Amino acid sequence: MNAPLRRARIDLDAYRSNLDLVRGWMEPVEVMAIMKADAYGHGLEPIALAAVDAGVRWIGVLTVPAALRLRSIGVGEDVHLFTWQHDPALDFRDAIDSAVDLGVSNTAELQRVIDAVDQRPARVHLGVDSGLHRDGATPDAWPELVSLAVYTHLAESSDDDDSAAVAAFDRAVETAEDLGLDVPMEHVAASLAGLERKEFRKDMVRMGANLFGIPGADGVSAADLGLEPVMTLTASVAKTKRVPVDTGVSYDYTYRTASETTLALVPVGYADGVPRRAQGRIEVAISGKRYPIAGRVAMDQFLVDVGDDEVRVGDPVVLFGTGEHGEMTVLEWGDALGTIGEEVTCRIGARVPREVVGHEVEGRVGVYLREQP
Amino acid sequence: MSAFTGITVDREALIANYATVSERVSPAGIIAVVKANAYGHGAADAARAFVDAGAEWLGVADIDEGIALRRAGIDEGVRILAWLHAPDEDFRRAAQYDVTPAVSSVSQLAAAADSEVPAVHVCVDTGLSRNGAVESEWAELFETAGRLARSGSRTRVEGLMSHLSNASRADDLDQDAALQRALDGLAANGITPEIVHLAASAASIAVPETRHDAARVGLALYGLSPFDDRTSADLGLRPAMRVTAAVLRTVPVAAGEGVSYGYTWRAATDTRLAVIGLGYADGFDRDFGNRVSVRIGDRMFPVVGRVAMNAMHIDIGEADVRVGDEVVLWGDPADGDPAVEDWAAAIGTINYEVVARVGRSVERRTT
Repeated sequence: MNAPLRRARIDLDAYRSNLDLVRGWMEPVEVMAIMKADAYGHGLEPIALAAVDAGVRWIGVLTVPAALRLRSIGVGEDVHLFTWQHDPALDFRDAIDSAVDLGVSNTAELQRVIDAVDQRPARVHLGVDSGLHRDGATPDAWPELVSLAVYTHLAESSDDDDSAAVAAFDRAVETAEDLGLDVPMEHVAASLAGLERKEFRKDMVRMGANLFGIPGADGVSAADLGLEPVMTLTASVAKTKRVPVDTGVSYDYTYRTASETTLALVPVGYADGVPRRAQGRIEVAISGKRYPIAGRVAMDQFLVDVGDDEVRVGDPVVLFGTGEHGEMTVLEWGDALGTIGEEVTCRIGARVPREVVGHEVEGRVGVYLREQP
Repeated sequence: MSAFTGITVDREALIANYATVSERVSPAGIIAVVKANAYGHGAADAARAFVDAGAEWLGVADIDEGIALRRAGIDEGVRILAWLHAPDEDFRRAAQYDVTPAVSSVSQLAAAADSEVPAVHVCVDTGLSRNGAVESEWAELFETAGRLARSGSRTRVEGLMSHLSNASRADDLDQDAALQRALDGLAANGITPEIVHLAASAASIAVPETRHDAARVGLALYGLSPFDDRTSADLGLRPAMRVTAAVLRTVPVAAGEGVSYGYTWRAATDTRLAVIGLGYADGFDRDFGNRVSVRIGDRMFPVVGRVAMNAMHIDIGEADVRVGDEVVLWGDPADGDPAVEDWAAAIGTINYEVVARVGRSVERRTT
């Protein structure tokens, strides 16, 4: 067996630790662990099983197919699986049969849910659009809707905007109650607002990025908050070469060596999630020392200029991680690339195997992983 | 009827592009490059289309990609070449699955021979400074190859390859001259490779001298142009990838209201937005917001606000757009669809990156 060229290590201990921390902050409010987008690129199934084992009873997965996937690997109905983005062609019957919680934001969608009800009642959350204009019904359309709970989604903008959004949400709840609807549960805030604004928490807070060790607020690192990054992206040096001064490197020769030097080839490219614009912005760590990307990032690989240092084929390269071994964190990648950490982890590609650590061999995660081909 | 959300790959376009490129590079052959999930098009289906179009060679980056193709049913009558290897690669799996490795060092050549891989290509660095043995390493590498041949090894050096920088025509021709030195070096050790390949899409069209026995063509086979001053149509190619999404909902927005995270866009007048379920987690850059347009029916509409993790917003004004309607992100401009090159230019990159980074979460179908 050969070591993979590239891998993303997913540390479930870190995930659990973040979960404990966040649940402590939010106590007594319930935390919904958001795992949309394949758990932000970390791999849905192991994260979900770890969260359930740690006592999480609300999981948000965006789509019904993702929720059904979790039911199929043994996530029982004592765990709420919340979904809120539905293809217009989706048949809701399987979701209702499997007790999947459905976020619904317009009457046509709600009618499709009602039409799909047969033996079991549907579990519906009514979505209010309080300003983000993504999910949820606008105030005009709101009075038509009936539900088990209400939720909305804050645009993480200025405080004024968020306050306006919460006010809109509160008005919607009031309207619903005036119309005779008993609203047993309200959830409004996603990660950032949930942390900073206690009055936004309502009955439940939806937490995603924080649980993966990616804080959302400007200028706050994971370490500042006590969060641990869950994903570490690594590769092995695939080749080294000694080249003379003024050697052009990679496409269009956008980098030229300043002196005789050693180049190390890292077999991770833009198809794997290192953007082409990373040249000049990203440094990787080899044996605890940082080196800049030299030349254009290609589809499958890039080079680093390691000078006269002893770097050998097979040496581990850490692209991002906890920062403990001199590497950048995913938050620093986001800053350097003009984006956010979530985009970085979500876009780590399919060619990068996820290696899950921090679980018991005989636990549910261990058994699940062993059953995979 | 609700529109399909995902990538539709036009198999006929792949086959037609293969024929077009084939004719252009003839008498040189083609190694059809299907690495990185066939530049996002879906490796197995794309490989099958190229094989049906007559491809005898497929190219992938690593052995795992080659094995995945074998498992998907690409049979051993079709050769698969892989050139990027793990440091401890022993090439046993390459032998088992009949994936032909390109070797860049004495140790890789020796490991391939130990595993009795039937054929290897030697990969040399002629200037790109990337994969491939640098010129100072050639003598030892070529001598090792010669010794293996004389000792009756079951591993034969079948090919010689290098990769161009596309920095300029002169730079590419310098690399071609270096490749000739490598050929001379191999000849001095009694080895004449049957298949010499250097050019990829760009040079196979622009620098005919670099074609040799085969061109390793990826981008052009998917119908995309490797040049910023020539379109697909200029090259007689048909973009094979069409990305569409169903409208999930429409929502009225009053003048002055903001949209999506951080409110990077605010409505200038009362308008309506259409929401689609593709976002940055699906491979659509967060920065596309406010910079690209999509097609709905016969009209173009701007994407507004930041692209979210699983959604983007389109300003549809008063147009008659309904839930389930088809939104075209990009496709073949000859059919009136937006060009992927417009998306690439919007964020300062190239078409290769935009298509190759569409994520695994996006459903792909080949028609």
